Amino acid sequence: MAESTDATVEEKEVSSEAVSVDTDGFGASAMGDEVVLDVKDLRTHFTTRWGTVKAVDGVSYHVKRGETLGIVGESGSGKSVTALSLMRLVPSPPGNIVGGEVVLNGRNLLDLSEGEMTSVRGGEISMILQDPMQALNPVFSIENQVGEAIKIHQKLKGEALWDKVVDSLRKVRIPAPETRAKDYPHQLSGGMRQRVVGAIGISSSPAVIIADEPTTSLDVTIQAAYLRLLRQIQQEEGVGIIFITHDFGIVAKMCDRVAVMYAGRIVEVADVRTIFNEPLHEYTKALISSVPKLEEKTGRLPQIEGQPPLLYNLPAGDAFAPRSTLTFTPEDAARRPPLVEVKPDHWVQLSKSSVADYDKFADMMPAEDSE
Amino acid sequence: MTTAENVTIQDAPGVNPNADAIISIRNLRKWYQVGGGFMGFGDKIYLKAVDDVSFDIERNKTFGLVGESGCGKTTTLKLLLGLETPTAGNIYYEGEDVATMSKAGKSEFRRSVQAVFQDPWSSLNPRMRVRSIVGEPLEIATTMTKGQIATRVGDLLSETGLNPYQANLYPHEFSGGQRQRIGIARALALNPKVIALDEPVSALDVSIRAQIMNLLVDLQEEHGLAYLLVAHNLATVRYMCHDMAVMYLGVVQESGETEAIFNNPMHIYTNALVSAALPSHPDIQREEFLLPGEVVSPINPPPGDVFMTRTPLEVDPNHKWANERPPLVEKEPGHWVVETPWSMAADAGLKVELTGHEGV
Repeated sequence: MAESTDATVEEKEVSSEAVSVDTDGFGASAMGDEVVLDVKDLRTHFTTRWGTVKAVDGVSYHVKRGETLGIVGESGSGKSVTALSLMRLVPSPPGNIVGGEVVLNGRNLLDLSEGEMTSVRGGEISMILQDPMQALNPVFSIENQVGEAIKIHQKLKGEALWDKVVDSLRKVRIPAPETRAKDYPHQLSGGMRQRVVGAIGISSSPAVIIADEPTTSLDVTIQAAYLRLLRQIQQEEGVGIIFITHDFGIVAKMCDRVAVMYAGRIVEVADVRTIFNEPLHEYTKALISSVPKLEEKTGRLPQIEGQPPLLYNLPAGDAFAPRSTLTFTPEDAARRPPLVEVKPDHWVQLSKSSVADYDKFADMMPAEDSE
Repeated sequence: MTTAENVTIQDAPGVNPNADAIISIRNLRKWYQVGGGFMGFGDKIYLKAVDDVSFDIERNKTFGLVGESGCGKTTTLKLLLGLETPTAGNIYYEGEDVATMSKAGKSEFRRSVQAVFQDPWSSLNPRMRVRSIVGEPLEIATTMTKGQIATRVGDLLSETGLNPYQANLYPHEFSGGQRQRIGIARALALNPKVIALDEPVSALDVSIRAQIMNLLVDLQEEHGLAYLLVAHNLATVRYMCHDMAVMYLGVVQESGETEAIFNNPMHIYTNALVSAALPSHPDIQREEFLLPGEVVSPINPPPGDVFMTRTPLEVDPNHKWANERPPLVEKEPGHWVVETPWSMAADAGLKVELTGHEGV
């Protein structure tokens, strides 16, 4: 270990923005047990000509202060719609939040009026989107766009507004923020643009930031710098982050807890080490093992057969059963599997068709009619 | 200012084509003129997308090109496919220079080098049925009858894991992974020897990526294919590639066997890329080496080592390699790196150790 400490010191010297960041992925940044966001049984459905699409079908999770929750899933698993539902930005029609609660700082966001919601969006809860090119308006200056959110939520103007804009840009480590603020988006590089989007996100000191694949369009080195920055901001501000991604590498690097989504439902939630070391659901296991590893040359990758299901035509019971390699009877998969806390803080959608260790936990299954 | 006519040819991995390799690329350059030179006056300004790139693709093996956006890896792939004409340099196919091939030789080369693209949503014509998409190369380049083509399309579809009965469907009726299989079937139609893969899995869902990567590996074994893989995901490169090259600003900085490079990355840039790649387990915590500055524009890059503006070490502006392009040096057998006083990771005290989490 002594060698690696030396290496760390030297790295610090050569890196352009040497900063002390706790890069430990687990729990270190979570501050206490204060739950800032509690989502209960959220259901968002879309009405389409093929039938009702249950994009989010009974999803529950919470985020603590200063904690990063990763929501992992494939396209169509409902992870992005979950985020849009929290912000009440689901396009309606065809989308509808048909049930559940989103409790932020003690208030249910789903009960608020549209006017009240406007002050929450970008204020108490904000969002960093995937593509910084599309998230910024090309005809307004950076000052204007960062200032807009501050003007609305903090009612600042004039010099105070300018100071706050520069301060926000400085927080996301944009060099020479006073000059950069006068620039337009096309004058900045991709990494800088994504930092501006981050500056807008944190400008009003939100309790929760939703980051929806914010680094997929960035190069690896810029991605690394941006992820490090997010972590730093989180430690300074104590903000809870919901990180939506399909990349287990980002989960390993950034998240304290992980929720794995499949077909509109959460199949497993646990802290990040449990998810990597002792996953219980077959889908979680398969997802982790099917990713090639940077650290070693692996043999042939195990692969998940089949395709993700179509959401308007879901099997009645366990949605993962058609892709599961376990042996089970049709009756085992017929019941809609409940999310059960099998170990402290480790929840899994329990069914014989998707959990190999089902027999160990069989007595934990709630009675059929309790759903 | 140097112009395309008087570029100096340097000895990077052997100036002569490697006769054993299926593809041998030597001193390949692609410069785009972006300004100047009006009516023959003034200095011409070039964007040097690819500037002196040499490597070999061995038979039945995969060669990986990695680097950040703008490093010229995709331009190199386009040059191989003949979608761009090189400004200078040569591409040798089975030891023969493609530029001086006979017409018949060229069309044989074109048939033997095929491509699979990144985005299966935009690389398949939405108005064509699968049988026409996969059968088109056969219609154009062979004398097969309609019946023979239909049989061959059916075979190709089953070989790539699709159902021959799906030949009458349109691309929109397929999922992303299935579409990529159609693209692979199309690339296989003419029994190529080389397939250029441009980020073949990055647009696909995680659970589908392993399926496609394994399919590519199986097809390589069955048909003795050679691949040129362009990717930014280093884990994918380590899984798929036998040899690789790391590019920065149009220039190869380090090349060699994939395992040699991952086990002992020598160039600072390679170390920076590897350190920034995401870990496969939360217990693996690598410190990232952030390089100073940002990627500079490939328009009028430094005349010497292109990396000198990004190195954390001090650069002597009077040094030979600050004014002249440094060559690749063979540091270990088969492991080449651009060596200057400011490019070696060992001199900067950097070393990425890629260890599994059990070892931590």
